[in-house]
Amino acid sequence: MIYLDNAATTLIKPPAVARAMVRAMQTCASPGRGGHKAAMRASGLVYRCREKAAALFNVPDPANVVFTMNATHGLNIAIRSLAKPGTKVLISGYEHNAVTRPLKALGTEIIVAESPLFDQAACLRAFEERIRGAELAVCTMVSNVFGFILPVYEIAALCERRGVPLIVDASQAAGVLPVDFQKLGAAFVAMPGHKGLLGPQGTGLLLCGERGEPLLSGGSGSDSLLQQMPDYLPDRLEAGTHNVPGIAGMMAGMDYVSKMGLPHIMRTEQLLLHDTVSRLRGVEGVELFTGAEGTQSGVLSLRIRGRDCDETAQLLSERGICMRSGLHCAPLAHRSAATLDTGTLRMSFSPFVKREDVKVCCAAVSELCSAAG
Amino acid sequence: MKYLIMCKSLTNAQRAALVLERRGIGATVVKAPQHLRANGCGYALSLYRRLGEAVSLLKSAGLLTGKVYLREADGSYREAHENDLSR
Repeated sequence: MIYLDNAATTLIKPPAVARAMVRAMQTCASPGRGGHKAAMRASGLVYRCREKAAALFNVPDPANVVFTMNATHGLNIAIRSLAKPGTKVLISGYEHNAVTRPLKALGTEIIVAESPLFDQAACLRAFEERIRGAELAVCTMVSNVFGFILPVYEIAALCERRGVPLIVDASQAAGVLPVDFQKLGAAFVAMPGHKGLLGPQGTGLLLCGERGEPLLSGGSGSDSLLQQMPDYLPDRLEAGTHNVPGIAGMMAGMDYVSKMGLPHIMRTEQLLLHDTVSRLRGVEGVELFTGAEGTQSGVLSLRIRGRDCDETAQLLSERGICMRSGLHCAPLAHRSAATLDTGTLRMSFSPFVKREDVKVCCAAVSELCSAAG
Repeated sequence: MKYLIMCKSLTNAQRAALVLERRGIGATVVKAPQHLRANGCGYALSLYRRLGEAVSLLKSAGLLTGKVYLREADGSYREAHENDLSR
């Protein structure tokens, strides 16, 4: 099987991830739920992971690293902490439903800073033109559909100058591009553990610049007499038993990322991207969505003239190639790129994708194009 | 003599223990006795030596978030006074 759906979930993980998870299941109880050895072992593991994440993302205090189920969970906490019905929220034109749906559900007033694909300057300008009156901004670092790298550090600086709190969705960036929490100065940064951080599904991180409002209430193992959630992090935002095996796996994934280094990972994915583009560029009927150097991560969307993207993905799947098709839970990004009517086929890379995989995949796509033509 | 430094949270206790460990002061994260916690469950640092140094280190790191207790010979606890911190 050739797996090219890493923007959804990295399927191939470092072997240490599964080993760490099994070890945690066999030896760790619940952190903060007792003083016995099995509980304290779990507490130690969870704390080490907080420390590791704090170091990787430049968070000054590990207490401000909160464990979540996924990026969506973190984004919901962040949005519900800072927005209420009627809040004017400025977002990029490339946000995922994990941002737009919670904003809609809350009844906020959404202002979209629309900009053309792969144009970072236009993206920043769109934020500058619409920020007046905004009470909150939300911005993804990288479009999950097109791999467009948004100028989020510049947008963060703009928000800081205008006193607008910012929530950053680092779903496609964490483990690939530098995510510097202090440099961003964001109120919250949300990310999953199961994509670039190479951890298991069901894990995520929320880096907190603010105390936040709990989405869930329940046991925290602390201040149990109080009938409100504690007022301090991370306890305030971590009700219920932690996913200790998941956290152990995510920590092993982060270890791998740290060892490989972000520049190496980014370079690997860029080589795969360039290889794919050079193989498909001349193929009749293929439309590739590519940007200039430095504007695209290891995610590539494409369309094939005369072929439905979902049917194409199915045909590729029958040949053992896993690619995602459709709207990728981000209709807004498709609106920005004028692909809403068709959706796209998406290839997304990871450090475990081989050039041979790209070669086989491109050959299959070319063959389907010939058949369609 | 056993000392207990009450902590705001488990994470706070873990971070504080590491700060002390890096300065060669052994401290263990333990569940805090219920009667010493106004709001129920919580964690504390347990140590046997260098209390004054530990308190001063935690203070300067912004990690001293609770009261400090001494365990008496009869098993009861009393809050530490200024002169206890020279131990």
